[in-house]
Amino acid sequence: MNKKGLLIGIVSIAIIAGIAASISVSDSESVNLDMERTHGTISTAMGSPILGDPSAPVTIVEFGDYQCHQCYNWFHNTKPAIESQYIQTGKANLVFVDMAFLGNDSPRAAQASYCAEDQEMYWEYHGLLYASQESKIDGGWADSERLKAFAFSLGLDMELFESCLDSGKYSKRVQYNTQEAREHGVRGTPGFFIVGPDGQQQLAGAQPFSVFKQILDTMA
Amino acid sequence: MTSTTKIVFSNPRYAVLGFVIFTCMLVGLLIMSEFIFLEPYVVSHLPTGTETAFVLIVIISVFSALVLPMNIFRINILKKSKQKMGGGIFGSIIGAAAGACSCGPIGFAVISTFGSVGATATAFLTNYETPIRMVAIGILIVTYFTTVKSLKMECRINP
Repeated sequence: MNKKGLLIGIVSIAIIAGIAASISVSDSESVNLDMERTHGTISTAMGSPILGDPSAPVTIVEFGDYQCHQCYNWFHNTKPAIESQYIQTGKANLVFVDMAFLGNDSPRAAQASYCAEDQEMYWEYHGLLYASQESKIDGGWADSERLKAFAFSLGLDMELFESCLDSGKYSKRVQYNTQEAREHGVRGTPGFFIVGPDGQQQLAGAQPFSVFKQILDTMA
Repeated sequence: MTSTTKIVFSNPRYAVLGFVIFTCMLVGLLIMSEFIFLEPYVVSHLPTGTETAFVLIVIISVFSALVLPMNIFRINILKKSKQKMGGGIFGSIIGAAAGACSCGPIGFAVISTFGSVGATATAFLTNYETPIRMVAIGILIVTYFTTVKSLKMECRINP
């Protein structure tokens, strides 16, 4: 009887420990994805969190690569005006979807951005990558060590970040996004879809603010 | 030097050819480098930090428009060899190829078709865009001066 009681006790403790461990793991490595999320015809479920008001009438879906110079140009020359005039005012929001095709460091940089998302610092990390982009593709500015250094500079929990990046936790997510870009006929970065209540319009390249304004004003 | 250039371009055929080459190269390269967009609206812009690339494209277009008609003139009028023509075409092509790949549709097509080899090639053309364009301009300048020299001798022009 005593033996039976001991056995039940051990099994109970093991089950409780197992449940506690699984809860602990899912807390630290949770993937906060809405698998149903779409904008127009595009599945943005695996893309970035939404920048701006999720209920804004227009969504800009940007397909980009962190090593792309034209994405850098768009980020610095066009995006600030869109952000101040449309995103911050609630007229539009933005989702970034990776199209990581330019070099070996591109998919890793995209994965790192989602590791930062685990700690609710996606857009900060995204901005830091584009602010730190250097002219050479695969020139070392976005290698594993530098990606970790960027995370450190943002004050992220390095143990979590390194475990996430080194394990390749988000490699499938980045592949899915790149495939989504190809399936929607994106033939270079940056590529955009502006999705409004009455349809969507595709834009190719780092086009100036005037073009976005013209389209957004007709849709909003 | 000026006289030989004048002789070639005083012929309307070569003047028109030079203008067509200049326009096609300039507009083509500006579209590929995303200084001009055709869709959804025709629009041009010069983003901050891309001024050097723009100036190099203009210089390559000018020299291509000078060198290529002069060499065609040598071949057509003077029935000379096509050897010097090669320098002009080579300079124009590598000048055009540099930076044309990058993240745009050409780079995407090359990487999609040739995989990692294509990625390495496009990365090289992108990383060394400015030096490659400068080399292309160097080739075009050398070709220009050697062509002028040849024309001087072949036409017996006294400057």
